[in-house]
Amino acid sequence: MSDAARAFHQRIDAALADRALGDALALTTGRLAGGRAAAMAAFADAEAARDEARRIRAAAIARLDQLLERFEREATARGCRVHWAETAADATRIVTAIAQEARVTLAVKSKSMVSEEIELNAALERSGVRVVETDLGEFVVQIAGDRPSHIITPIIHRSRHDVARLFREKANAAPEDVADIPAMTAFARRTLRAEFLQAGMGISGANVAVAETGTVCLVTNEGNGRLTTTLPRVHVALVGIERIVPSAADLAAVLSLLARSATGQALSVYTSLISGPRRAGAGPGPAKGGEPDGPDDVHVVFVDNGRSRLLGGPLAEILYCIRCGACLNVCPVYQKVGGHAYGGVYPGPVGSVVMPGLLGLEAWSELAQASSLCGACREACPVRIDLPRLLLEVRRQAAAKRLAPRWLRVAMPVYAAVARRPRLYRSAVAAAGLLGRMVAKGGWIRWLPGPLGAWTASRDFPAPATRSFLQQHRLRKEAAR
Amino acid sequence: MTGARGRILESIRSGLVRAALPSAEHAGVPDAKAGRGGSIEAMVERFGAVLTALSGRVHRAASPEVPALVADIAAAHGVRSFLAWDETELGCPGLLEGLAARGLARVDYRMPTDPDARIRLAQALEPIGLGVTGGHAAIAENGAVVLVSGPGRGRLVSLLPAVHVAIVSERRLRPTLADLVREEPRLLDAGSNVVLVAGPSRTADIEMALSHGVHGPKHVHVVLTA
Repeated sequence: MSDAARAFHQRIDAALADRALGDALALTTGRLAGGRAAAMAAFADAEAARDEARRIRAAAIARLDQLLERFEREATARGCRVHWAETAADATRIVTAIAQEARVTLAVKSKSMVSEEIELNAALERSGVRVVETDLGEFVVQIAGDRPSHIITPIIHRSRHDVARLFREKANAAPEDVADIPAMTAFARRTLRAEFLQAGMGISGANVAVAETGTVCLVTNEGNGRLTTTLPRVHVALVGIERIVPSAADLAAVLSLLARSATGQALSVYTSLISGPRRAGAGPGPAKGGEPDGPDDVHVVFVDNGRSRLLGGPLAEILYCIRCGACLNVCPVYQKVGGHAYGGVYPGPVGSVVMPGLLGLEAWSELAQASSLCGACREACPVRIDLPRLLLEVRRQAAAKRLAPRWLRVAMPVYAAVARRPRLYRSAVAAAGLLGRMVAKGGWIRWLPGPLGAWTASRDFPAPATRSFLQQHRLRKEAAR
Repeated sequence: MTGARGRILESIRSGLVRAALPSAEHAGVPDAKAGRGGSIEAMVERFGAVLTALSGRVHRAASPEVPALVADIAAAHGVRSFLAWDETELGCPGLLEGLAARGLARVDYRMPTDPDARIRLAQALEPIGLGVTGGHAAIAENGAVVLVSGPGRGRLVSLLPAVHVAIVSERRLRPTLADLVREEPRLLDAGSNVVLVAGPSRTADIEMALSHGVHGPKHVHVVLTA
């Protein structure tokens, strides 16, 4: 087993041993998955909408280069500055340079998974810019020195008591500020308002980017996305290059599914559609006639960081993802272990494809093993991504790179050789059945030797039937005759 | 970063040539939803039900009744001064005058470009308790009001105060966002900031417990005018 795999197994064990985490996961994933199911059921024609959204995403990815160029042209014409970052390091360098050029010392941030992916906060802090996360969950994550455990609701893993303690210890909250959840919410509002009013730069992600108007679409429920992109004089939007759709009509189709799939809402509370900085008036001077507020500078940073490389390969379909988190909530593995066990920025089924896809098989391919391939993710996905196929593909690539455990690499060709020879296969099945029944006690196998012990270490295996499937099938056919 | 731009586009193009993408097999789904949704009354009812479920408040009023209605909302929250869009942008003639006559003071503002002056003005605006805007449209399906930024149409008006009142004509109700975009394909170009607001600010980040007014307004009133 590789170090990465061993560490993954240790995180899983730790998560499974955490009772409070298990309760929190059951509550949250149950609520979110239930909300999604209800919202989709009440939707006019959910299946047609999913087909349409998939078609839109597929068509957009199929001409991604043209759409990015169109976006750049349109956004530039509306006063945006568009930057291109090949890697995480390039992206953080670009944002840091923008901050320095604008003499920014305080930046407020709206929740952005891409910013987590490129580890932007640390880079900005190193260059002397204080960064404040403003999404309530992300704010808690930040003051705890923690990581988000879900792409939509980042602090699934924390109780109200945890949050109260953190606010008291790390954010100078008074006892009455943490009396209950509304009090804590009000405390966060007050604390973060002060930061918003003083920040020189706002940093956001983008849920969708619209090529025909160079528009960044940002959805939040709290309103922190709006404050982040309205109060500071500079707005920087980090946009994963695959976020793009051609037109407003396509955006409407994606939005009709995004919040329904994420939280069961028909639409998030705030959908901001940003096309450039505030506009000057027709009259003389900037003070007259133009827009009274909004940023004076808007930067869009296209982040590749491994995405374009995926396009050429069999994992490309993951680029259709709209990051709703529905696949996390329905995944029987995520439901039990939560986001931290996956160890990366993107957890769950989508993360098990995205992490090895973007950041490499060596460190991340093991994630794809943590799936029963039950297909719940594919059923929940608003753009019908065939996640089980992609998870299998990650496993296949890992095996081809000899990243699978050695015993498995030896055993699978042996199995394949046996399975291709019917007579040999039947004898092997009979032998295995016999051996299985010998080690079984009370109808269950609780112990197996060698590498097979990995199976029985955490689960019992039913004893093989006295007659194999093939034997039973033959007997039935004969009886029917 | 022209080099990066070229390399990213080149990487995309070479990927697309080799792409093993599943085809978009469902091209051309018939657009059955166009024109659906029917009467204004039906949309008013739907919009009201959806927004109420989101903890927003919906009122119906003729234009002359609006000043008294908004003044009542202000009084209920103990508000004396307010932010507002210009009268021409509110779609309700006489509203600002009516509010002034009821003792409410409108604070007009324009963010300076100077960083420090900007911060000082933002801090001065922060305690104001009410913002009044005019909706470009409203969406029955999801309870959202569409606000378009522009001269005389500040974005902070619907964002900083704890109470937001949006005035929208009933005739501007549309069944879905898709319907609105179909009718106005250039909607995103109407202003540098187009925002859909569906009810009060909310969060459920802590233990999935719903809590309102975390960053945006805690109270949202939509006044549908005849």
